[in-house]
Amino acid sequence: MPATPPKVGGPLLWGGLGLSTLILCPFLLPTYWTLVLTEIMIMSLFALSFNLLFGAAGLLSFGQGGFFGVGAFAAALYLQGGGGSVWLALLLGSAAAALAALAIGYLCVRRDEIFFAMLTLGFGMMLYTLAHNWRAVTGGSDGLPLFALPPLRLPGVAVSLYSPVSLYLFTLAASLLGALLLWQVRRSPFGLILTAVRENKERFAFVGGRVQQVRLMAFVIAGTLAGLAGTLLCFFNSMATPDYLHWTFSAKPALMTILGGSGVFLGPAVGAAVFFLLEQLITRFTESWMIVLGAILIVVVLFFPRGITGVLSERYRRPRRPRP
Amino acid sequence: METLVINTLNGLSWGMLLFLISMGLTTVFGVLGVLNFAHGALFMLGAYVCMQIMQIVPSFWLGLALGPLLVAALGVLIERYLLRRVYARDVSFQLLLTFAILLVLDDAVLILWGPAYHVVEAPPLLAGVFRLFGHTYPVYRLFLIIVGPMVGIGLWFFFQFTRWGRIVRAAALDREMAEGIGIRVPLLFSAVFGLGAWLAALGGALAAPQQSVAPSMGDRIIIESFIVVVIGGLGSFPGAFVGALFLGLLESFGTVFAGHAQMALPYLLLAVVLLVRPRGFFGREV
Amino acid sequence: MTVVPLLKVENLSHHFGKFQVLSRISLEIPAGALTALIGPNGAGKTTFYNLISGRFAPTEGRVVFNGRDITGLPAYRVAPLGLVRSFQITNIFPELSVLDNVAVPLLLLHRRGANFWRPLTSEKAVYRQAQQQLERVGLAAAAHRPARELAYGDKRLVEMAIVLARDPKLVLLDEPTAGMNPEETDHMIRLIKTLADTSGTTFCLTEHDMKVVFAVASQIAVLHQGQLIAWGPPEKIRNDPKVKRAYLGGSLDA
Repeated sequence: MPATPPKVGGPLLWGGLGLSTLILCPFLLPTYWTLVLTEIMIMSLFALSFNLLFGAAGLLSFGQGGFFGVGAFAAALYLQGGGGSVWLALLLGSAAAALAALAIGYLCVRRDEIFFAMLTLGFGMMLYTLAHNWRAVTGGSDGLPLFALPPLRLPGVAVSLYSPVSLYLFTLAASLLGALLLWQVRRSPFGLILTAVRENKERFAFVGGRVQQVRLMAFVIAGTLAGLAGTLLCFFNSMATPDYLHWTFSAKPALMTILGGSGVFLGPAVGAAVFFLLEQLITRFTESWMIVLGAILIVVVLFFPRGITGVLSERYRRPRRPRP
Repeated sequence: METLVINTLNGLSWGMLLFLISMGLTTVFGVLGVLNFAHGALFMLGAYVCMQIMQIVPSFWLGLALGPLLVAALGVLIERYLLRRVYARDVSFQLLLTFAILLVLDDAVLILWGPAYHVVEAPPLLAGVFRLFGHTYPVYRLFLIIVGPMVGIGLWFFFQFTRWGRIVRAAALDREMAEGIGIRVPLLFSAVFGLGAWLAALGGALAAPQQSVAPSMGDRIIIESFIVVVIGGLGSFPGAFVGALFLGLLESFGTVFAGHAQMALPYLLLAVVLLVRPRGFFGREV
Repeated sequence: MTVVPLLKVENLSHHFGKFQVLSRISLEIPAGALTALIGPNGAGKTTFYNLISGRFAPTEGRVVFNGRDITGLPAYRVAPLGLVRSFQITNIFPELSVLDNVAVPLLLLHRRGANFWRPLTSEKAVYRQAQQQLERVGLAAAAHRPARELAYGDKRLVEMAIVLARDPKLVLLDEPTAGMNPEETDHMIRLIKTLADTSGTTFCLTEHDMKVVFAVASQIAVLHQGQLIAWGPPEKIRNDPKVKRAYLGGSLDA
């Protein structure tokens, strides 16, 4: 039997409990926290997609914000241009991000780790410059506001996404879908191949594997889901802004992942939650969030590289269950 | 004809600045094996510190002499207390660390000096213009064209012919062996990182009179130096030289011929090199 | 009618900068002939493997495998043609289970590597074959252990299993018994001999242990300072004066 994928932390019971809690939250919490949770879910998806590259493929990308932003802008352009379907907006955002990831990924996977990081930063900033300067299309540094968000059309009912509760539930559904896809990828043959390439790309090549192809595929999947997350944030903020494509934004999923732990599937999601709570705390005292972000990242990289979930899983290591 | 000459001079002066910064990046990589994402921030710090010194003592030469040294000292501290801890670890963590340092330095500059642009005056000696084809051309740009190669040749000379230079190269090639024969590698690494920081900051101080001192200075330069080392080959001085000149000239002529698309040119160049010759002009086999 | 040799190397040469590592090596390996490649350290054996298996391209010469010119082809294109190799320093996937180590090349063989939507557990055929491969080399019991936990000798067996997974035509083994104790060496050699006799795979191995070489090889190539100084059946090599001198006058009888 194949090896088990990274632990989620328990069987169906915990998953069901967690999901029920998530579904009930918006009805129990004040609106403010519903909104915070919505944003946490979006950034969790973003961080999870980042971790497909970092944790699974061993590739560090500083340009994921580029694809996030492409998704946001594609959706915004579609909706501002008169588009009426939220579903189509999601699809277009993801597809646009996928194409961008394909083009940029094709160039970046031609070099190895260090160069890869450099190149993703470079091309990410290229997308930023494009978004920042192409006023006619993207609105320049002001961004593209969404003046009208059409209602979500479900069989038999149209739900307005202006209500925080419905937006929350919609975001929950979409992020969950994205997360499930990533989970499935990790458990698939491709997931094993990814691990093999990360472990020993030379061995992989010498049994006939094409390292670049594998990496490109991972890059496109990650980029697509980043675009999906971007679309969701565009709905949330009613705007697409070039800031999403800047490297400071690309740093967020990296920090969330390292903070939460890249070795556990939900680690990045944990990191996203902690990150938001920290942000809530720190912005009460100071506007200089980036310096704190950087300082935290330094501390985590130096002293807690396995992140919160890494530290926890070591503390509470359970005996391995015997396999069938 | 005159467009040709003026654009060439512009391209060369920017290219030489780029060369200075890329030399620092590539030296640190060649010796320590670390790609310093914060290198552009050090460039920016060089400009800001120089400007700050000039606000106390209005002498560009003092700012130029002292500023980069102060930033170099900061570089040594960064290497000693932060970077050193991650040498043994996965490359990704080294990159994340330098990236985190970038975030800290970027915001630190904003906190210390605010978001406004600052102007630094060129020293009286170099502030003039001279006549070229009926136009005026700043002397300062010529200065940059000369300074770049001077520093480059000096550095090359240092690494090729002096005892310390050879020691550095030995440590770069084989760290264990160097330690085995008594070279204090950790100290050496700090010094080399400091040198890299000095080069970046020197570039920044030199750039200050030519472009406004602003918090986003580091953004552009780090990406361009990344492009330079990719097309020139990481770890190679001649590569950095050729790459920097090429990029400088390309951008300079690009403003004339490509208009708005000019901003895409560096990335296009990057893409072409990646497709046609991934290892760069002087790089080793990928 | 001439039989096409499995591997044919013509005037293979390689230099790194000014340093000439291999000079004009020409030899043939017929299918089924267990070949040993011997020579003092630094003779160029590993470089020879590197050039054939696609780690880097030779500066001169040709490599023809199964009638097809593969000179300079990168490794990922050579392996699917049926030419695989092991490394001097064991090259496996340490964090994966032993079984998964073998599943990887099999997934590639069956073109299932790109499948990202179905679970790994549904790849029954692949895992059945992987289990069979492990049984072949004697590692079936360790199937679910992470490969890094295994003893050194067993890790080399894992690499053997990985290498054999795609039922290759030619296997280049780079010092397969290096660092092994006598018991492990014995097991490895018997394994190689059994596989050479029963499967359709041709083996070529580099070795320092002369006992081993003369026990299993049907032909021997001797490299010295980058040149092929002798080539032929064991008796011919044993009595060759050039070979004796290359080994510094030492005896080839262990």
